[in-house]
Amino acid sequence: MTAKTLRTGPGRLLVAVYGVFALAATARGVYQLATKFEEAPVAYLLSVFAGVVYLVAAVGLARAGRTSRRIALVSCSVEMVGVLAVGAAGLLFPSAFPEDTVWSGFGSGYLFIPLVLPALGLWWILHVHRLDRDPEIP
Amino acid sequence: MVEWLTMTIQMVSLAMAGWCLVSTFRDQPMLVPHLVGMGVLWLLVIGQAVATVATMVGGDTPAETAMFVSYLATVVLLPPACAVWGFMERSKWGPAVIAFACLILPVLFVRLEQLWSPVA
Repeated sequence: MTAKTLRTGPGRLLVAVYGVFALAATARGVYQLATKFEEAPVAYLLSVFAGVVYLVAAVGLARAGRTSRRIALVSCSVEMVGVLAVGAAGLLFPSAFPEDTVWSGFGSGYLFIPLVLPALGLWWILHVHRLDRDPEIP
Repeated sequence: MVEWLTMTIQMVSLAMAGWCLVSTFRDQPMLVPHLVGMGVLWLLVIGQAVATVATMVGGDTPAETAMFVSYLATVVLLPPACAVWGFMERSKWGPAVIAFACLILPVLFVRLEQLWSPVA
């Protein structure tokens, strides 16, 4: 079987973007937790959580194998749900999220990349998955 | 932060991004000239980091030191990390990685200057 992995082709770029986002979200969250935890603990914990999910997704995409693919699929799904849920929650209950996280406002603080990224990630994982099952698709 | 060096880094970085985007659309993999370009960019960034750390050792530190240093570490590590990651890929997606890195770098420098721009 050909070693078609998630990290080649467009996946290469995807892993790079995920890596940078993992770093950005985690570092920001940890900094916020360390310096001003009392102000908005939920938002800051969410930042760290988002960062960890990005990190898991980056590693899942970068590694070969069935388990990694499943991990990438789950973490991209969590992101998709996360950015939609937090974006919607921010609209419905603005007071619940006093501080911005990467997922606030559907990722508007980061050029909506947090919204587009999981969609691209899911598309890529499913695309590679289909290629594996049916090598005829170009 | 040496201001003209920041400007130079941003210009070189954007030029690299443009060049790599052209390579991507021409379906070219990342080649040695790209790698040399990234090397030059990295040297400029290291130069800036060294100059900045020298200022900080001299007693002049930013208000949010931890934040500033973490950003500084990121700009130093980003070019080599992405260059290696892009060079491993032997398709047009290699230069695409570099283009992404070179678009992020100027933004990071804007953030760095917002955090601390000592008047030299």
